Amino acid sequence: MGTINSAFSLISGALDADQSALSIVANNVANANTPGYTQERPTWQENQPVTINGLSYGDGVSETGAKSLRDSVLVARLDQQQQLASASGARLTALNSVQALFPPDSGSASATAGDIGSDITSFFNSFSSLEADPTDNSLREEVLSSAGTLAGDISNAAASLNEQSAALDQEASGVTAQVNALTSAIAQLNQQIQTTSPNADAGTLEDQRQEDLSQLSQLIGINQVKTENNGLSVTTTSGQLLVSEGSSFQLTSGQSGGVTHFFVGTTDVTTQLASGGGQLGGYLTARDQDIPNALNALNQLAYNISTQVNTQNSAGTDLDGVTGSAANPLNIFSQPATVAGSAAAMSVVMTDPNQIAAASAGQGTGDNSNATAMANLAKQTIVGGQTPTDFYSNLVSTLGATISGVQAENTAENASVTQLQTQNNALSSVNLNDEAAAMSTLQTSYQAASQVFNLLNTIMTSALNLGVQTAVS
Amino acid sequence: MRVDPSYVSNLVGSLNQAQANQQQLTAELSSGVRINSLSQGPVASGENVLLLNQIQQDDSFTQSSSLVTGQLQVADSTLGSVVSQLTQAISLATGANNGTMNASDVKAIANQISGILDEVQSLANTSYQGQYIFAGGQTSTTPFTTSTATSPGVTSYNGDQDVNYLVTPNGQKIQLNVPGSQIFLGSGTNSAFEALNRLVADYSTGTVNTSQAVSDTQALSTALNFVSQQRVTIDDSITQVTAASEAVTTDQTQLTTAQTNLMQADVAQVSTQLSQAETQQTALEDVIAQLDSASNSLFSKLQ
Repeated sequence: MGTINSAFSLISGALDADQSALSIVANNVANANTPGYTQERPTWQENQPVTINGLSYGDGVSETGAKSLRDSVLVARLDQQQQLASASGARLTALNSVQALFPPDSGSASATAGDIGSDITSFFNSFSSLEADPTDNSLREEVLSSAGTLAGDISNAAASLNEQSAALDQEASGVTAQVNALTSAIAQLNQQIQTTSPNADAGTLEDQRQEDLSQLSQLIGINQVKTENNGLSVTTTSGQLLVSEGSSFQLTSGQSGGVTHFFVGTTDVTTQLASGGGQLGGYLTARDQDIPNALNALNQLAYNISTQVNTQNSAGTDLDGVTGSAANPLNIFSQPATVAGSAAAMSVVMTDPNQIAAASAGQGTGDNSNATAMANLAKQTIVGGQTPTDFYSNLVSTLGATISGVQAENTAENASVTQLQTQNNALSSVNLNDEAAAMSTLQTSYQAASQVFNLLNTIMTSALNLGVQTAVS
Repeated sequence: MRVDPSYVSNLVGSLNQAQANQQQLTAELSSGVRINSLSQGPVASGENVLLLNQIQQDDSFTQSSSLVTGQLQVADSTLGSVVSQLTQAISLATGANNGTMNASDVKAIANQISGILDEVQSLANTSYQGQYIFAGGQTSTTPFTTSTATSPGVTSYNGDQDVNYLVTPNGQKIQLNVPGSQIFLGSGTNSAFEALNRLVADYSTGTVNTSQAVSDTQALSTALNFVSQQRVTIDDSITQVTAASEAVTTDQTQLTTAQTNLMQADVAQVSTQLSQAETQQTALEDVIAQLDSASNSLFSKLQ
């Protein structure tokens, strides 16, 4: 049989529960704008009933603590998508700087400065013009000046690409410090969580760990594995351990082959990081793939044009009657030794326009057949199986297609991030409407409990006074 | 149902998107160019390189063609003068051959024909912009010199047989010169210089070996026909250059139209898009303002 006393203890328990629930709501409202905060709900638990003489009586309510509203699968997906979006974002930024070097020529009278396509055409056209009057000095000067423009624009583009690559290299190596700070913070949080909350959600600590993981996801591609006692292991997407529960492993960087490489322990993980995701992945993809692709194409262009033009010019006779030979070639461009680096080194070495060999070997200086042959190089497949112009056109459209692909990818990934974020926010972020409703409910419930307490008090008084109203109040 | 309480920040994202869109459209309108970077049209950018290449080739050929036309016309008019000089020589020789002239008249004819020989030689040595036009590839060497050490004198050719061609953008080869030896020395009986030298020798003594002189006169008239034939080659080249130049100009016009269509912004379309983007932005701004002013939580109702 329940007593008035037991009713007292039951209702005061309810008041306690309401109070702690109110403080949870207040904490939610206070942290409504805190990044990484996961909204908490009070956990209500019905107390064990008391059985007296075979009859079961309820024993009130307890509030057993705040529970964070967290969907760890959703959050992990969000992190993953964030890694992809950061990678394509960083790569896109780098690629946008690359494409600025290849501005599309609008075709207006003032040709876009630095347009290599026009330079190639002008250079070979200058030989076509020379056909008309092979001894004319101004036409010969035109050949050298258009050669200078072509070589200058190609070497400038190559130099800029090299600079961009170096800048990306620096940015990439700057990421390591941030990654290491985050991984050691995660390791520390792991320890705390494993000690304080091995079996349940660790609330605030978990929020912090999650926030660190999201930040880490912006930097590099990671996998997360839950371990026992609520611990967490973090690996790179290729499986290199960065955090194992309480201990973290440093990501280090070092120079190798002129660029920064990244290591976990002694393992070189540069290639894996490049394809892994995060900002670092984007930087490395641009540094090791996109820029080298563009640079290789320029190198091929520079190497083949230089070599073929030099060979053809040396095969003819110049205005002074000199015929080029292997020992004494009539080189217009500096002769590149290897394809690699030939774009950056491309320059015009010929200073005397008379040395342009318009005539075929042994012919009179008025002959134009070697000039015709040089102009004809523009129509021959001298660069990677294509004509120089076709090759450049291909370079431009390949680059453009890559960038536009990355752009589309980035847009889609960002949209997906936004969507996941919306889903996650809907679950985990503080909704003030909900809090107001909860507040209002708790207020009512607290008031009701107080009222019950008050009534019980009156009843108790009646009982103590045995019906006399005034003796004890 | 659960909702994302921070959806206003998503709306701000859309607002930024709308603004970026407007910037892009405004840039297109102000530059008039549809494609300002490769990624906006990878295929079009590649195609643009090829079109511009052809347009510039055409442009360059148009300039070259006016240059060579000048040279070809000089050659043509020079050969015209040569023809009239040779015609005059033939009529002088025909006069001398009819046997009515006395020795001093015949000698005078010899002098006149000798003068014509000099004139034809100087025409054959014509230069254009400092380059001999009938010297084959040896354009810096005087192509014809006459030695009078023997009788008849000998005119020799110091040029070569080299022929230059101008290649049009579509690969047609147009002959730019005829080597002087082919025009003036011909082969055997077609040599104008040989016939002139022989006629000078025929008449220089004052006594005419009529049959020899008639035969030499005949040879000169054959040579004259041959020169005229060679002139046709030059005329043909002029016609070809003119035709090619016209074709190239037409081609260039078409290519430019294609290139313009490819790269230029469609102003009407871009303006429409811009106005749509503006409307969208205004609408979004209104929505955000409304949400802002509305009491966005129940807390404002709690007493």
